[in-house]
Amino acid sequence: MGHGKYIAPPVGQYQVAAGETLNLQFVVLPGESRDIDVSIDLIGPGAEAHIKALYLCGADEKVNFHIIMHHRAPGCHSTQTIKGIAGGTAQVQFHGVIVVAPDAQQTEAYQENHNIVLTDQARVETRPQLEIYADDVKCSHGATVGQLNADELFYMRSRGIPEAEAKTLQMLSFLTPVIPEGREEEIESAVRSL
Amino acid sequence: MLEIKNLHAKIGDKEILKGIDLTIGPGEVHAVMGPNGAGKSTLAAVLTGKPGYEVTEGSILFQGQDLLAMTPEERAWAGLFLSFQYPIEIPGVTITAFMKAAVNAKRKAHGLPEFKAGDFLKLMKEKMALVQMKPEFAKREVNVGFSGGEKKRNEIFQMALLEPELAILDETDSGLDVDALKIVADGVNTLRSPERSAIIITHYHKLLEYVQPDVVHVLKDGRLVKTGGRELIDAIEAKGFDQF
Repeated sequence: MGHGKYIAPPVGQYQVAAGETLNLQFVVLPGESRDIDVSIDLIGPGAEAHIKALYLCGADEKVNFHIIMHHRAPGCHSTQTIKGIAGGTAQVQFHGVIVVAPDAQQTEAYQENHNIVLTDQARVETRPQLEIYADDVKCSHGATVGQLNADELFYMRSRGIPEAEAKTLQMLSFLTPVIPEGREEEIESAVRSL
Repeated sequence: MLEIKNLHAKIGDKEILKGIDLTIGPGEVHAVMGPNGAGKSTLAAVLTGKPGYEVTEGSILFQGQDLLAMTPEERAWAGLFLSFQYPIEIPGVTITAFMKAAVNAKRKAHGLPEFKAGDFLKLMKEKMALVQMKPEFAKREVNVGFSGGEKKRNEIFQMALLEPELAILDETDSGLDVDALKIVADGVNTLRSPERSAIIITHYHKLLEYVQPDVVHVLKDGRLVKTGGRELIDAIEAKGFDQF
């Protein structure tokens, strides 16, 4: 798709049947704006869905995530890990909704959205949302918007690691959980370009 | 080696260092002792270029270079090392990756080729053994989940690997039991040579029983109020810092 920078299955609606597993992975690299609008229905008992997403925006890109994870059947399991770094004047929005229907007992649903902002002009807005109508569920969500850790950077620099390299190391370690296997070098050079 | 003249420094509006003069020659080990809040850690921070500290007066020459004009990494390449009082955790970065980046950056700055992976690992193993760090620590994330003693040993391991010309040990003895203290002291003593110098910052005499300083200074309220030999350590031990 696109310029080969973006990987993902098509956005849109997915249904996951009993006992099946859906894995989606999104990567948005600098140079393009994207709307990632995904709605997943876990319709059969024991269905699973796992989303990983990584974004890096350096200039004036706009990246929007809109993810609905609907647990409609019992015993389903979902995870979402969305991490990214916004520089320049990028604008990033994340809106993630987990809905657990009244019948969807023994649901496990987890959502994490973590963001690093590199400049004063970049903006990240994150809105995680849980709607739980069943009582026997394990759900959690976490969202953070932060900056590079100044103490870590100074520690690395005090050992002789140049500032740019220290920042790269920190950004790569932040992104590690969402870097697709085999694309480490591509992600690393994209991080260096920020 | 190091020549500090009339050093004044502040954090925000608060002046912490109020005129420090300190000269350290090659091979010398100086102890800087003082009560909490005297400015000991500020001195270490200013020497290593930690952001947030403003030098308002004075100068620092390190090996003839203007230290205050150098970035923290340039100071490290020139041979300065700080053993942190509170070592920083770096999640997601292994000790091997961390120290490989550090050692190779220093080598590059000196026009030397990067270490081959095998040679580096061998060297790392040797230095870890020096401070009795278990080999599996090489794959651990930097300081993450380490005990207080393990963090301090990791600092001394890094020092041994980087072989600095001037090491600053900021309260390296705090929180160490006697066994860990001896390991740390052995690590420091192993590095002693006619060319290498050290500043040992402490409010406590314990480490100085194992690492013998050549000169002892008392830092109080931002100034070095007394300089002498080992007898100062005994005086502090007996009567505290109020006598100065």
